[in-house]
Amino acid sequence: MKMDFMEYIRNRAVLFDGGMGSMLIAAGLGEREVPEQWNFLHPERMIGIHTAYLDAGAEVIQTNTFGATGIKLSASGGGSGLDPSEVNEKAALLAREALDRFEGTEGGGGKIGARFVAGDIGPTGEFFAPMGKLTSERARASFREQAVALNRGGVDLFLIETMYDIREALEALKAVREVSNKPAVVELTMDKKTKGYFTLVGDTAAKAVEILLPEGADVLGANCTMASDTMIGLVPEFRRHTRAPLLFQPNAGRPEMSGGTAVYRQKPEEFAADLARMLDAGANAVGGCCGTNPDFIRAARKIIDEKRLGK
Amino acid sequence: MREHLKACMQAVLDGDSEKAEELARLTLEKKLPLLEVIDGGFVSGIREVGRLWEEGDLFLPELVMGAEAMKRAMIILQPALEAGGGKREKAGHVVIGTIEGDIHDIGKTLVATMLAANGFEITDLGADVPAGRFVDEAERKGAGCIAISALLTTTMPGQKRVIEELKNRSLREKIRVMVGGAPCSEKWAEDIGADGYAGDAVSAVALAKKFMA
Repeated sequence: MKMDFMEYIRNRAVLFDGGMGSMLIAAGLGEREVPEQWNFLHPERMIGIHTAYLDAGAEVIQTNTFGATGIKLSASGGGSGLDPSEVNEKAALLAREALDRFEGTEGGGGKIGARFVAGDIGPTGEFFAPMGKLTSERARASFREQAVALNRGGVDLFLIETMYDIREALEALKAVREVSNKPAVVELTMDKKTKGYFTLVGDTAAKAVEILLPEGADVLGANCTMASDTMIGLVPEFRRHTRAPLLFQPNAGRPEMSGGTAVYRQKPEEFAADLARMLDAGANAVGGCCGTNPDFIRAARKIIDEKRLGK
Repeated sequence: MREHLKACMQAVLDGDSEKAEELARLTLEKKLPLLEVIDGGFVSGIREVGRLWEEGDLFLPELVMGAEAMKRAMIILQPALEAGGGKREKAGHVVIGTIEGDIHDIGKTLVATMLAANGFEITDLGADVPAGRFVDEAERKGAGCIAISALLTTTMPGQKRVIEELKNRSLREKIRVMVGGAPCSEKWAEDIGADGYAGDAVSAVALAKKFMA
C-alpha cells in the first residue's frame, strides 16, 4: 500500500534530493541545451541522476521540469521546440521509472519508510507589474498545462519552488489545485537583508503563510539564493507563523569560478550539519539546491539517521 | 520653488508616474529653471530610492516604479531642455547587455534603467549578446563603459571574452568594464581583469560614476 506523503512528513524528518543543474552539467549538458531537453535526448542519463539521489538516501526526487512551463520554454532557443505537455509528462514518467526500478532492487538503506516523486514547478521567468507584463491569467494557464501533464505522468506531490513573487506562486498553487488534490509544497526564494528575510519583491515568510496556506498549500519553505548557514535563521521566521510542515533547500555556499567552471567549495558534511540545525529549528524536511549533488544528500542522510532527527 | 522640488522628489519616491508628469508640465508652464528642477527634484528622488533599496527598506517594485516616474518626467523636460540650449551634463555612455547563451534580462534592464535615471546615456543590447557585439557597439558609440551581465556559471566565461576582445582591438585602455549577475563577485571581476563588479543596480550606478570621474 502506498504511503501518503502528508502522513509521512508529519511523522519524521524527510530528505529531498539535491541540485539538478550541476548534475546535468557534469553529465554533459551542452551550453545551448536547456535541461528539459534531456528528458527526451537522454532518458537513461536522467534516470541515472534520479537513481544517484535515491541511492544517496533521498526520500523525495524532483522531476527535471524546473523550467518546463510553456512561457519559460518558449523564451529559450533550445526549449522552444519542446511541447510543454509532452516534456512534463515524460519527465514525471522518468522519475517514476527510476523510483520503481530502485525499489525493485531494494537499494538505498538508511531508515527510509517510503519514497516519492515530486513534480517540480519553477517560475515562468517573467515578472508581474510593475517589473514586467505577466498576467494572472497567462501564468495560471501555463502552470495548469504543466500541472496536468505532471499529474498524468504520475507524480505523488507537486513542488512549486524558487518563487520570488507570491503572486506567481499563488497562480501556480491555484493551477495545481484545479488539477489535483495531491500535496502541494511551495518554496519561496529569499535573501537575508539587514531587516530580515525577503524575496526580490519584498515578500516575507509571514505573507507566504497568510496567503498560500488558505489557498491549499500543504507545506511551505524556501530554496536557492542562500547558502546553508544563512538559511538556518529563516526556519524560525516561518515557524513563528505556522504549524504547517516546512521544507528548506539551500545552496552549497556561493560558487567560485576556477579554470572556467563553477566550483562550490562547501563540504558535504558542513552542509549536512546545517540541514540538521534546520531540522532542530523546526523544519520537517530538507534537501539541496544549486551546487549540491548526491554526496551532500548522502551526508545529510547519515546525520539524520545518526541523530534520529525529527524523531 | 522649494515646495516644487520637494513634490518632484516625492513623486519619484512614491513611484507616481502621473504625478511626476504633471509636475514636469507645471515646471514648463511656470518656466522654472529646468536643471535645478531635474537635479534638485527628480534626481534627488531617484537617489533616495536607491538609498532605501540599499538599506533594504524597499524592493524591486518600488525601485522600478521610481525609475519609471523619473523617466516619464524626463521625456517631458528633455525637449525643452535641449531647445533652451541648456544641457544636462551626460554622465557618460554605457553599453550594456547580457552575455551570449544567457537570456536573463531583468537585472540587466534594471541596471540600465537606473543608469539612465542617473543621467547616463545607455545602449541596451538586450540578452544573449555575443562578446564581439559589445565591443562593436562600444566602439561605434564611443562609449566609456561596457556593463556585462551573466546569471549562469556556464555563461560567465563570456564576460572574460569581451575583455579579451577589447585587448585584441587595443581598446582596453579606453573602455572600462563592469560585470554583474548572481554568480559574479569582486573576485571574479579581478580574476578576469574587469574594472569592477556591481552586485545590484544602485552599486552599478556608483561604479559607473567612479569610472567616468
